[in-house]
Amino acid sequence: MFTMGIDIGSSSSKVVILEDGVNIIAGEVIQIGTGSTGPKRVLDEALSKVGLKLEDMAKIIATGYGRSSVEEAHKQISEISCQAKGVFFLVPSAKLIIDIGGQDVKAIRLDSKGGVKQFFMNDKCAAGTGRFLDVMSRVLEVNLDEMAEYDARATEPATVSSTCTVFAESEVISQLSNGVAKENIIAGVHQSVASKACGLAYRCGVEEDIVMCGGVAKDLGVVRAISKELKKPVIVAPNPQITAALGAAIFAFEEVRGANI
Amino acid sequence: MSRLETIISELSSISNNPRKAMEDYKKETGKGSVGVMPYYAPEEIIHAAGFLPVGIWGGQKSISKARAYLPPFACSIMQSVMEMQLEGVYDDLEAVLFPVPCDTLKCLSQKWKGTSPVIVFTHPQNRKLEAANKFLAEEYRLVREKLQTILNVKITDEALNQSIETYNENRKAMREFTDLAANYPQIIDPKKRHAIIKARFFMEKSKHTAMVKELNSELKSLPVEAFTGKKVVLTGIMAEPNEVLDILKDNGFAVVADDLAQESRLFRNDVPSGTDPLYRLAKWWQEFDGCSLATDAKKSRGPMMMDMVKGSKADAVVVCMMKFCDPEEFDYPIYYRQFEEAGIKSLFIEIDLETTSFEQTKTRVQSFSEML
Repeated sequence: MFTMGIDIGSSSSKVVILEDGVNIIAGEVIQIGTGSTGPKRVLDEALSKVGLKLEDMAKIIATGYGRSSVEEAHKQISEISCQAKGVFFLVPSAKLIIDIGGQDVKAIRLDSKGGVKQFFMNDKCAAGTGRFLDVMSRVLEVNLDEMAEYDARATEPATVSSTCTVFAESEVISQLSNGVAKENIIAGVHQSVASKACGLAYRCGVEEDIVMCGGVAKDLGVVRAISKELKKPVIVAPNPQITAALGAAIFAFEEVRGANI
Repeated sequence: MSRLETIISELSSISNNPRKAMEDYKKETGKGSVGVMPYYAPEEIIHAAGFLPVGIWGGQKSISKARAYLPPFACSIMQSVMEMQLEGVYDDLEAVLFPVPCDTLKCLSQKWKGTSPVIVFTHPQNRKLEAANKFLAEEYRLVREKLQTILNVKITDEALNQSIETYNENRKAMREFTDLAANYPQIIDPKKRHAIIKARFFMEKSKHTAMVKELNSELKSLPVEAFTGKKVVLTGIMAEPNEVLDILKDNGFAVVADDLAQESRLFRNDVPSGTDPLYRLAKWWQEFDGCSLATDAKKSRGPMMMDMVKGSKADAVVVCMMKFCDPEEFDYPIYYRQFEEAGIKSLFIEIDLETTSFEQTKTRVQSFSEML
């Protein structure tokens, strides 16, 4: 039996196709999100990769910011529940999830069965989100996937505001013009993201194992900064951008089977 | 339309159109209205003068002109009040009664931009001393004097004691309503509940009481049906705009009790009995607890809410955090910890009167519904 999870975020679209509730046979990501061609393209890509059709899916569940706009879905479940489900499937020891996506930061505490015990989200502000990193990457002329390498070479991280993306951008520009090394600025940017996420984690209650997911989890500079702030190791979920889509696909499987895996 | 539906519709209409309520009152009595800023002003003094006390709680609107006078981190409610002051919305009021229990109100009271005269008074924060009652009674004496001068009427002790009884009767009817509403969530959804309560800010209280009593009686005549959704207690300053309440409803939540400064905190205690009306009103403030704006060394808000959850058989608490309200923000970690220890689930949502996008609130509420 095949089930599908579709996660339409603010800046990317993700699809997971699951076979019999355990085998991930497709996990596709396109880096444009809700309101774009991303959702349709990622759906088509995932299906064509495994030679299946929509009709082959026993159930489809949508999640993410754009969840209500996915016509193909039979149901919508929030990304918080789906992240919890997907991460717990991949890392059963997870107790705290830090999920940093395009425009949201979330801390989710899990109970011993992987259920959501508590969660906190960022305020309506781009500071500390993937969008914040996008802005900094553009100002610094460093690709997002190179930022962790720069961070690793930092000798004295700069101070970058975590209050507001616009203020932080001005700070970064003035540091650049003052000749501060990009490595140190990027380490400061990562610390800024970490301080925002860790504020939510502290509110939620920090308990190991701590697992990071969402697109920003691919930036190891942020992961290191969060680990340093929490003084605890942080595990990056395998393929961290598709965990919510995976959770949605598992929910779909469970609903069809009417029982937990 | 049944009588029940008619009453709900009339109260909702008044709640949505305060200006019409003011105009109707003027036509009917020849007297005007006096604005009442949050929080906990003795409306009874205005009522005893024969004028209509009108609650000023801001509204859902974008902020531009107020930016010139307020820092961006002033609470959302005061941002919208300032914006409306600058637009002249409150200029038809005969006066504005202005308590100052928080820093933002204290500062805002000194830069009112409307044309109505403003009467500022202070609630004592060292509340449990007898001296606090004497201080506040004296403040209220000054408020009465100023109102008498502005409105050109004599406010007698007798009239004031009578108004206190009118208000206590309204408080009693409101407590009965909120208890009943918890049993009829299919009829009294979160938005209707809020509108019925909010209408009391724009109506002569005995009229509001009469309608609410009739509503209560209509409700009681109906069978109680099983409710399959989740029941919550709301806490905070206010639960607006209406989109927030619609999101709760859409996700299967019923509001079975509240600890909101705009709602039950105003009527959960009566003004105590006595002969000196100003002292009675002052004593209400001393007996009042469980609000971030009233200093409480024992921090009884958390235990009070836990009793509320138990008493109303609620599944959880929804924290409606007014954006940039520091008294509420300071209280939150204290009662949140108490909830955690007692195993009471809670959801934190942000209340921002300026917002037009509710996606984050939808995600939080849906997730909370899935979590419970």
